[in-house]
Amino acid sequence: MPQARFNDPVRALGLAKRFGTVRAVSRIDLNVAPGEALGLLGPNGAGKSTTLSMLTGLRAPDAGEILIFGHRAGSPQARALTGATPQLVGFPDQLSPREILGYAAARYRVRARIDKLAACFGLERIVDRRVAGFSGGEMRRLALALAFVGEPRLVFLDEPTTGLDGAAQEGFQEVARDFVAKGGSLVLTSHHWDEIEAVCDSITLVDRGETVLEGRIGDIRKRASVSRLTFSLPPETVPPEWMQAVHDGARWHSECADSDKTLRRMVHEALPFHGLTVAPLDLKDVINRIRREETGP
Amino acid sequence: MTRPLRAECALELKTLVRQPGFWVPTVLFPAMLYAFFGAQSAGDWAANAMAAFAVYAVLGVGFFQFGVSVAQDRESPFANWQQTLPGHAGNQWIARVLASLVFVTVAVALVVALAFVLGRVEVGAAALVRLAFVCLIASFTATFMGIALGSLASARAAVPLANLIFLPLAYLGGLWVPPMALPSAVNAVSQWTPTRAMGELGWAAIAGTRWDPGYLAVLLGWTVISVAVVVVAHARHRRHE
Ligand SMILES: Nc1ncnc2c1ncn2[C@@H]1O[C@H](COP(=O)(O)OP(=O)(O)OP(=O)(O)O)[C@@H](O)[C@H]1O
Ligand SMILES: [Mg+2]
Repeated sequence: MPQARFNDPVRALGLAKRFGTVRAVSRIDLNVAPGEALGLLGPNGAGKSTTLSMLTGLRAPDAGEILIFGHRAGSPQARALTGATPQLVGFPDQLSPREILGYAAARYRVRARIDKLAACFGLERIVDRRVAGFSGGEMRRLALALAFVGEPRLVFLDEPTTGLDGAAQEGFQEVARDFVAKGGSLVLTSHHWDEIEAVCDSITLVDRGETVLEGRIGDIRKRASVSRLTFSLPPETVPPEWMQAVHDGARWHSECADSDKTLRRMVHEALPFHGLTVAPLDLKDVINRIRREETGP
Repeated sequence: MTRPLRAECALELKTLVRQPGFWVPTVLFPAMLYAFFGAQSAGDWAANAMAAFAVYAVLGVGFFQFGVSVAQDRESPFANWQQTLPGHAGNQWIARVLASLVFVTVAVALVVALAFVLGRVEVGAAALVRLAFVCLIASFTATFMGIALGSLASARAAVPLANLIFLPLAYLGGLWVPPMALPSAVNAVSQWTPTRAMGELGWAAIAGTRWDPGYLAVLLGWTVISVAVVVVAHARHRRHE
């Protein structure tokens, strides 16, 4: 990993935050370089939203340090360089997306490119309608557009695509990749692994308020370069013990480090398989495997 | 006016103007209630009834605009998100105060216009200027009382709670029924209400008499209490966040 620099978009060390007796975050470190997209993953209640609220300066951490481009989180300089969308969305019913976007642009003191944003996020048909009565997905699209309206260099997105339809999700991924390709940095929480893989370069996995795994997605894949063999067998036939295969009711699945070697052995043992496919393991399964190995039996 | 401040004012005004639930009770009701209950006042009290309903309008804007928006600030995701935007939070408060002055001006102007038309009230320009000044002072206290209310109430409870305090205060202060018509027990309480103090200053403005420092002190007292409530509530919210 390259050396973290003082004025990197995000440098957070040893963050902790408790709510009464609940330790929402107890030890989280984050580093985001320019042009990097970081996926923040973890089960419900892991502390992702709490972490983002500290990075945006909405909550003060109980312990730890945060620098946003070298500035204190929530400082005027940091806010001018960042855009964010909340996990919960809700807008004043009386206003239209055009008015809310125009307002945000004025606060960032940038030119309001509202029609361009509306096109990027699929808001064209609703941009002049009052927000009252918007569907969840329409609200979400507006929230996304608002994160980008200020031409920020760093964007925080909390579950940005929850409730979005397929086209809007793809549209978002395109905007996000484009933003990162132009040097922007992104911190994204999500429960969709495919979305994280499509957008992010690195991930930080948190569980019960702690960072449990971090790294570039490519490196993580190398750490566990495992393939999954999927195949069918005639009824009454079972794969040999050494394959540790599991049956999902229709087909057999087996994970292996060297698929060529496994395949040769299957042929050598004359296993009557058919319809065989070989695919790299899903990121989610790779990470589960790494964590199993780390915590160990 | 800077661009962010202009945007803040536009946001505040648009939101409130498009919300009949806000401007009907705050801007129209004082004039309407004046037409029902104040315009019939005869003789000396005719001009005083106008001043009383003008003060009533001022208090309504303070209670309903600030009470509700401050309560919402703590709970609404939008208000939360606004804090992540660049610029000073102070602009939002300037915009709120400017918007409240707009609504107060319209509400008071409606009462005065009705008083001239329906009540055939005749007061000079000097009296009206003095009344406007009293309204400005009353706005100050009303705004802090509204903020105090919003700091204590949840967004859902803010409107009913505002009504629950605002309406009895208006009655107790002698804004609906002239103080001399209040039962004596009520009149004793009345002396300590902010509404009575605002009313008395308004009536002095109409009559062109000296302001009673006692009532100024009452207003100041209510302002100080409100600020104290805001500070305590704020500290409590911070601890619980
Ligand atoms: N304002 C609050 N008051 C009390 N507890 C809170 C508060 N906010 C969060 N928590 C608690 O802190 C923990 C972390 O919450 P957080 O919202 O950060 O989780 P998350 O990782 O974003 O979860 P999700 O995937 O469901 O969005 C949870 O146990 C939650 O109940
Ligand atoms: Mg969350």
